[in-house]
Amino acid sequence: MRYRKIIKALSLLLFFLFPVNFYLIFQVAPTERIMGDVQRIFYLHLSLAISAYIGFGVLFVASILFLIKKNILYDVLASSAGEVGLIFSTLVLITGSFWARPVWNVWWTWDPRLVTVLILWFIYLGYFLLRKSLPERMKKARYSAIVGILGFLDVPVVRLATKWWRSIHPRLSKEGGGLDPLMVKVLLFSLFTFVVFTIALIYFRFRVALVEERITSILNRMEES
Amino acid sequence: MRFAANIFLVVKKDLLLELRGKEALSIMIFLSLLLLVVFNLAVDINRDNVSELVSGILWVIFAFSGILGMGKTSLSERDDDAYLNVVFSSVSMESFFFAKVLSNLLFLMIMELFTIVFFVVLFDYERLFSALPGLSIPLLLGSFGFSVVGTLFSFLSTGSRFGEIILPLLFLPLVVPVLIGGVSSTDIILNGSAGDTPGKWLKILLVFDMLYLSISLILFRYLVEE
Repeated sequence: MRYRKIIKALSLLLFFLFPVNFYLIFQVAPTERIMGDVQRIFYLHLSLAISAYIGFGVLFVASILFLIKKNILYDVLASSAGEVGLIFSTLVLITGSFWARPVWNVWWTWDPRLVTVLILWFIYLGYFLLRKSLPERMKKARYSAIVGILGFLDVPVVRLATKWWRSIHPRLSKEGGGLDPLMVKVLLFSLFTFVVFTIALIYFRFRVALVEERITSILNRMEES
Repeated sequence: MRFAANIFLVVKKDLLLELRGKEALSIMIFLSLLLLVVFNLAVDINRDNVSELVSGILWVIFAFSGILGMGKTSLSERDDDAYLNVVFSSVSMESFFFAKVLSNLLFLMIMELFTIVFFVVLFDYERLFSALPGLSIPLLLGSFGFSVVGTLFSFLSTGSRFGEIILPLLFLPLVVPVLIGGVSSTDIILNGSAGDTPGKWLKILLVFDMLYLSISLILFRYLVEE
């Protein structure tokens, strides 16, 4: 019952947030002087990036909790959050590419931030391949938790290592310099929308995964008897 | 003291196994030679470009030969669950893992020395020999990072249905900082002008090594408890 209420509340909220968010991005936000309309991708791109990091962050914490508490629920949460993170990071790479083509005149460039997201994407792809290849339930949970922890810790080191390369990624300075105040407001709204969306997606996926988990265990029991 | 003695025992066991079977190390060395030949066929390496290409080629070979070799050494632990005998003995989990890291490091370093000799002979690039004392630091730090991650992941992959194919998929993205640090510091030592020092790259290698060694020592326990 409580589950239904949460789903309903989150869905209603998103039903309101998304149209407003898109209206703000496409109608209210001023057009960028040099880049033009293509700059509007940035509101989605940055929000997606934050969402992906939230997904991987939840995976990291849930993996640690699983190893400590040995409760399979944490593993289900970790993989659910990881799926959301993987999808969002894929979208980050795609939207970034769409933006880079007209602005930087290339589809891809070896900028530190791009490389970090790409490496992260490979790490979590490996995470899911490993999950797929481990038939035994507890082993799958333990092994993938280890990869989830190691993978997330790699992010700052990869960033550090790639940082000394020439960076052409646009920087948002702390004073908000270069970014119109209205743009900042639209950006914050977009960030908020996507954070709610991410939390909702992880929660929905978690519930579905729990049902999947229950069905598998019932099937296994039926096979045994 | 006990910790050191146990480590020594496990490393000695791995070396004995290698001396009698000659499996992992010889496969690594042959593979690195083969990769050098393949590189030469794919990219025309000559007197003019060899100094530019050398660090990248070497580290790619170290990573690939290394990970395949480490997969082999863990497989021999998994055979008949041999490692369980160690787990149930008085040797602690941490010292067992550290010993495996050290013996893998030893194999990696031997393979790397062979690769460097092959490189010098095949491409007539004697600069590598004279720079060897300076190169030994990035080689040691980089191989240690490879060894820590490789040892942990090769244990992990032996339980997988996909077998060893999963190993490079997990290993390579994670060791990207080692590759960048290794290639850059090697390049600076070989080609850098007088003012250049590989200091910051060595620092990255050191940070990576320390971070992953401490985390792996904690996590290894969870990997082997069945």
